[in-house]
Amino acid sequence: MFDRRLLKNFDYQLLLIMLVLCCYGLLVIGSATQGANISDPFLFLRKQAVWIALGMVAIFVIISIDYVNFYRWCWYIYAGNLVFLSAVLFVGREGGGAYRWLDLKVFDFQPSELAKVIIIITLARLLVDYEDKLKSFFISFSFLLYVAVPMALIFLQPDLGTSLVFIIIFFGMLFIAGVPWKNLLIFLCSGLALFPFLWTRLLPYQKMRLIVFLNPELDPLNFGYQLKQSMIAIGSGGVTGKGLFEGTQARLQFIPAQHTDFIFSVLGEELGFLGAVVLFLLYLFLIYRILKIGSFSKDSFGAFICTGIAAMIIFQILVNVGMTLSIMPVTGLPLPFMSYGGNSMLVNMLSVGIVINVGMRRHKIQF
Amino acid sequence: MDKKMLKRTRLFISIVVFIFIVLSARLAYLQIIQYEHYWGRAEKNRLRILPITAPRGEIFDKNGRQLVTNRPGFTVSLVDLGRGYDQETISYLAELLEMEEEEIRAKNYSQFYRRYLPIRLKTDVSMETVSRIAERRMELPGVLIEVQPIRNFVFGNFASHILGYMGEGTVPDWLKEQWKKAGYEYQLGDLVGQAGIEMAWEPFLRGEDGGLQVEVNSTGQAIREFERVEPKPGDDIYLTIDARLQQVLEQALNEVVEGLLNENNRYAGEAAAVVLDPRSGGILAMASIPSYDPNTFRLDFPVLVKDPRRPLVNKAIEEHYPIGSTFKMVTAMAALQERAVSKGERVSCSGTVTRYGATKSCFQGTAHGALNIFEALQKSCNIFFYEMGLRVGIDTLAHYSREFGFGNPVGLTDIFGEKKGIVASREFKSTLYRDPWYPAETMDAAIGQSFHSITPLQLANYVAMIANVGIHYRPYLVQKIVDSEGSTKMIAEPEVLYFMEAEESNWEIIRQSMSLVTLPGGTGARLADFPIRVAGKTGTAQVVGRDGSIPSHSLFVAFAPLEEPELALAVFIKHGESRGSTSILVARKILEEYFRVPEE
Repeated sequence: MFDRRLLKNFDYQLLLIMLVLCCYGLLVIGSATQGANISDPFLFLRKQAVWIALGMVAIFVIISIDYVNFYRWCWYIYAGNLVFLSAVLFVGREGGGAYRWLDLKVFDFQPSELAKVIIIITLARLLVDYEDKLKSFFISFSFLLYVAVPMALIFLQPDLGTSLVFIIIFFGMLFIAGVPWKNLLIFLCSGLALFPFLWTRLLPYQKMRLIVFLNPELDPLNFGYQLKQSMIAIGSGGVTGKGLFEGTQARLQFIPAQHTDFIFSVLGEELGFLGAVVLFLLYLFLIYRILKIGSFSKDSFGAFICTGIAAMIIFQILVNVGMTLSIMPVTGLPLPFMSYGGNSMLVNMLSVGIVINVGMRRHKIQF
Repeated sequence: MDKKMLKRTRLFISIVVFIFIVLSARLAYLQIIQYEHYWGRAEKNRLRILPITAPRGEIFDKNGRQLVTNRPGFTVSLVDLGRGYDQETISYLAELLEMEEEEIRAKNYSQFYRRYLPIRLKTDVSMETVSRIAERRMELPGVLIEVQPIRNFVFGNFASHILGYMGEGTVPDWLKEQWKKAGYEYQLGDLVGQAGIEMAWEPFLRGEDGGLQVEVNSTGQAIREFERVEPKPGDDIYLTIDARLQQVLEQALNEVVEGLLNENNRYAGEAAAVVLDPRSGGILAMASIPSYDPNTFRLDFPVLVKDPRRPLVNKAIEEHYPIGSTFKMVTAMAALQERAVSKGERVSCSGTVTRYGATKSCFQGTAHGALNIFEALQKSCNIFFYEMGLRVGIDTLAHYSREFGFGNPVGLTDIFGEKKGIVASREFKSTLYRDPWYPAETMDAAIGQSFHSITPLQLANYVAMIANVGIHYRPYLVQKIVDSEGSTKMIAEPEVLYFMEAEESNWEIIRQSMSLVTLPGGTGARLADFPIRVAGKTGTAQVVGRDGSIPSHSLFVAFAPLEEPELALAVFIKHGESRGSTSILVARKILEEYFRVPEE
């Protein structure tokens, strides 16, 4: 299937570190879901393992296609993305007041997850195409509009967290591509200036989350409860933690959404400061590898893709972990490779696959 | 990759490293610096001490017959899980338990300082309620079902004014103080005795609650048990009451009162009686009509408080009444002691007498002719005692009234609420009306009218003093206390509160006179055929109404047997005079039961 020379540049380290993270996640999910389903205690673990397996399949499918092809298919991908994101608004399945999923019978497909990778790939092509005009403010501005269309569709679902990921991807990729500081600052400032307008578009629960984040004491509707319980869980873990499966906050279900958004709280409680630092180091290494592969890529297209993926992952880590530590508002972003959930796992693994793809093809194949 | 891009990539990595440093710093702050704080909060989240209610001590009569016991019942409680109470849960509970939402909130609020402990919402709920809550357990965070002992008054509406009832109502400060001295510190919301023995003996009856340390999950359900401290059951109390006598007494009073009501006596409906052992002061029976069922007290309460006959009041000790001619032994004793009359002296009765401008008559205008003191008491001649009253004067009458225990509580402390009543006296009138005393009023006072107002317990104690030649024992209800291990903690000893000095011969005159009352020719001749000699005295207390036609109160006091008295009794039937004394009928029933005499 693959040329042996391609395999020579296959980044096993990146794949390995990703798999370690996935296993680490399985371990904590196992603890977080003990007792959640009496009749089938391993239900969540099994499902997550299946997703990881599917993710591995996805990785091997994606690396068999030269990423240069993505450049060519760019506009079809972008258009398809918009179709999915629009569809979700009309025929999507509702969950917790938001329309985020398309019911595909086998599983619920979440287009906004895939949209992140798609925007990274298509924005990378734009950056490559206009590489010599990046100093122009208007070019950058048109990039923003390009990103803003799918982002707006996601914002309407509503999914504030994922919309914000798009902004970070945008800034991260433009920054690496060499867009002048001045232009980036203008975008940032005008974004902040737009905030009051944006505020009026937020739903009451989104506003509440932000207010509670800014002032946890002000808690009229118990929005702060989950934050409080998360902090109690983490704080009570101490340096070494209470031991896997031994966290009282987790075991007695005091932490809300403890196997999905608040998986880090369970980790913090049971494995303590050391367990969390190990996780951070794994993440750091993962992102370092991704950026490293980007810097060695044969073209800017690959470099931009890698940067976008790195920005996506680090932002989700920051927001998710920050949320459990009460230094970020509650936005409902999953923790990459750790949180229970098929869509995000698949897309994150796919992203790593794309990075490996870029890394494999860093040299022109010589015969 | 060009140089600029490389530079920016390095900057990017630095930002990533910086992010992890910030997260680690925050993590270190929570997990290392604030560790103790959060560890404590996590423990508080999961560990809870559930109180185990101690079985309350049981109450028995003097013969060991069980009067009050406990049975298991289900209690619905609500516990604050640290995020306030869920509106849906409160609405659901309000509907299911038939409570007002406000009531539930008020209960929770009133126990704010012991939050995180289950708060009893409703005790003794039905099995159906329990299963309905159990079905929806996951949707009702903080709702707990506990098995707790429920007080069971075996005979229902029986001796309720003695036994009392249980409740969570407010407790007065003086009582809290008293309980505290006896070793029980009251906390708001505690289920405690609210009347009678249950209230006065609370610290003994309640025992010590145990505790169970449990691990709870986020919905407050206990997952695991840790330490368990068994509760210490309360002490059992044995009363001086004879349950059979009590039952006969209550039944007799109820029958009489019902009879009066059936005669369209719209004033009737209330009565009280006390039966004492004159040798000790032990109360053998004590009843107050109407009464209530302590088992269903909480349900009946709205009706009970609205009843104008005030069923909650123990009329035997908390109410005082004019006692009419049953007072005459006081006047006789005063006259004899002050040598104002000799035992042979006769006073002529022509049916009426006019003294100090007031014309007064004997009962129903009967002319008794010339009477000595024996005959005067036997026939209850008013004219004779007007004369005696005038001879000794009001101050001496008041003095002897007090000697016999009137005008002051007679000392019952086993239940609360004893009133002191009123002795007609110069001082009383002047403080009440700022008027001087008139000799004509002395005449009224001499036959038990005027301002005299005596509780049925005082009346019984007074008869007991005549029976035991002047000893005022403290009346008591609690015979002994036995703790949960079966050892006796306390046995009541008769306590002499006062000894009334009087000449032996004078006591004898009064006792002989009273024995004549129950012989043919006496006002209590209805007892003439009773096989045991009974010393008694009737009383008809007139009540002045606007139209003058209000039936008089019916009273009867007695002790028996005459020579060696074993019981002293006083019966009071409000507006109970109807074709003769109704109270003597009740007295007869008591005597029949006590002396095992078959009914007439």
